[in-house]
Amino acid sequence: MRKIGVVSLAVLAAAVALVASGCGADRAVEPAAKAAARAGCPAHALAGWRRLASRIHAPVYCPTWMPDPFDGVIGGQWNTIDSVSPDRSYLVGFIWLEAGSGELHVNLRGYPGRTRVPSCVDVNTVNGVTRRSKIPCFSDPTGHRRVAGIDATVYTANQDADRWHVLYAWRHDGSLYTLSQHVAVPLTYRKVVADLDRMLRSLVLVRPSS
Amino acid sequence: MRLTRRRLLAGAAAGAVGAGGIYELVDRLASSPKRPVVVRRPREQHLLGGMETISDEGVEVLVPPLHHRVMTARVRPGTDLRAAQAELERRLAALDRRFDPTPAGLGVTVAWGLPYFRRHVPELARTHLPVDVRATRERNRPVSALLDAVRFPSDPKDTVLEDNDLAVLLRSDDPGHVDAGAKAIFDGFDALEQTSTRRGFVGGGFSGRQSLPKQMALAAGVAGAELIPDTAQLFLGFTSTQRAAMGQGRIANVETLGYARDPHGYFHGGTTMHLSHVREDLEGWYLNFDFAQRVSTAFRPDLEGVRRDAQTVRQSPRDVSSERQVERGYHRFGAIGHSAAIQTSSRLRQRHVGPDGTVYEPGTAIPQRADFNTLDNPFAWSSQPKRDGMSRSPAAGVHFLVFNPTSDDFHRNRLAMDGVLPDGTKLAFPPDSRGQGFNSVLKTTHRQNFVVPPRAHRSFPLAELA
Repeated sequence: MRKIGVVSLAVLAAAVALVASGCGADRAVEPAAKAAARAGCPAHALAGWRRLASRIHAPVYCPTWMPDPFDGVIGGQWNTIDSVSPDRSYLVGFIWLEAGSGELHVNLRGYPGRTRVPSCVDVNTVNGVTRRSKIPCFSDPTGHRRVAGIDATVYTANQDADRWHVLYAWRHDGSLYTLSQHVAVPLTYRKVVADLDRMLRSLVLVRPSS
Repeated sequence: MRLTRRRLLAGAAAGAVGAGGIYELVDRLASSPKRPVVVRRPREQHLLGGMETISDEGVEVLVPPLHHRVMTARVRPGTDLRAAQAELERRLAALDRRFDPTPAGLGVTVAWGLPYFRRHVPELARTHLPVDVRATRERNRPVSALLDAVRFPSDPKDTVLEDNDLAVLLRSDDPGHVDAGAKAIFDGFDALEQTSTRRGFVGGGFSGRQSLPKQMALAAGVAGAELIPDTAQLFLGFTSTQRAAMGQGRIANVETLGYARDPHGYFHGGTTMHLSHVREDLEGWYLNFDFAQRVSTAFRPDLEGVRRDAQTVRQSPRDVSSERQVERGYHRFGAIGHSAAIQTSSRLRQRHVGPDGTVYEPGTAIPQRADFNTLDNPFAWSSQPKRDGMSRSPAAGVHFLVFNPTSDDFHRNRLAMDGVLPDGTKLAFPPDSRGQGFNSVLKTTHRQNFVVPPRAHRSFPLAELA
């Protein structure tokens, strides 16, 4: 499921510049993110998000900013998960992985027509005996982020593809949407939250083609 | 050399405070709680007087001293033991005159390891060290109350089993008192060669303020610091010093429960101490387990009715789990709770009346914990930095320190934590299994057992008889 990518030095340097900027500097670039959001989903990414919206017959959120090297293009180099379930819920994932260095992983999800936190199956196998129990896919709410008409709840204990991620979930027009990022070396929780805040501010709604 | 993202980021993070320097923040971050006034100096070195109790979630909780330090050492070869004994006692007595044995003053506990007894007083040790009656009966051979440390099933293969001659535990609400104690004991004392310094902190959050572990973890920038609950007594978010879960009074003394026979009464009023360093994966704990799972893991899988985000979870005698309950939970959930498993060996099965007439009811806790969080990685200082894997980067961990009547009693508790119950039942788990309680987020780096003589024999025990 995961694709291994090797990033060029230039791309790395750009990534580090972003990472090293930290939370304070993140605020400094906020206008750029806002401007990107106002400008709409970038042209090179728009087609993919519009196609997704049309597949699920509901609006989707296009990120106009993502941590480097991600470009937000569905079907692009870093998009490793592009999945729509029979119930129209979707999962779009972007992964950068370099052996020995670390990993970036961002997921965007949508659950058209429902707003309840979905259930996941917790599987625990001990000595060949497997036990399954239903648990919330997102739990341990620890706060809220309110930006650009989105009131997102921050969840810190999440399951399945969002395991070990910090996840923001919000409701829009009768549907549930989530954005999450993996807390993994070389990132810290603090940096991931800064990334998520910035991505949240950059989201623009893309509607299905009429 | 290839420039990786990790290296670039490591450079960006170089401004973070190193493990050594971080403790300079302690003075600014902590304020001392009000403490009850002076108590008399007990015969036992390991008991602290003047411990405040508070109520949290309706549970009585002891408020431990905020600041802790352990210094380990070896006795320099060729030392005149009797002269060294007199000198150390002189220094300790001076501290006794200066500080009350309370959190507001300074708790000083001097513990001695088997290497000291083997190297310096081997014959006397053979005849004077207490014998573990229970272990001797079960193994059909004499078993000392003081044992070498062992690696437990969940320990990494590279856990260092240490060989220090002695360890000094210093505890106080005032870090200046801890500093003063360390200097008074070690400065200019040629008989002792220091081998390590271990520093840490606990508590400070019961008043509703951000606790010391949370503040220190944030200041050090350790991974997952932001996820620690604001008022958590320890990094992992649960209170460890509720009165019912802590051995009370003299219960951990060598002589109290009859676990040991002290042939000459020399160690009457003493106890044994286990000291280990354990790394804690805070992100693994808080991102991989939700609150309900953390409660299940820390206490027991079928525990219900715990208020969300509660930090103190009642563990009174009536909440104690039996071997059968732990085994049933294992078969039903594929998991054991940390507390539930340990309780099968750490709580009294029957009512017991101690030699001083104190009555201990069934379900009473035996071990007296004195563990504290740390940012040492693994120690603040080591004389063997390579062997100890010393790093300047701070890391979340705990210096686990507990007093039990015998080393074997501690070993039984620790084995129970790994699913090896006192009745011989073995509840097997694969390495790092989430089902085996805290173990999946803990990694033990070092272990050693010590004996804590009574105050009267705290300095170079048995040397006066040599």
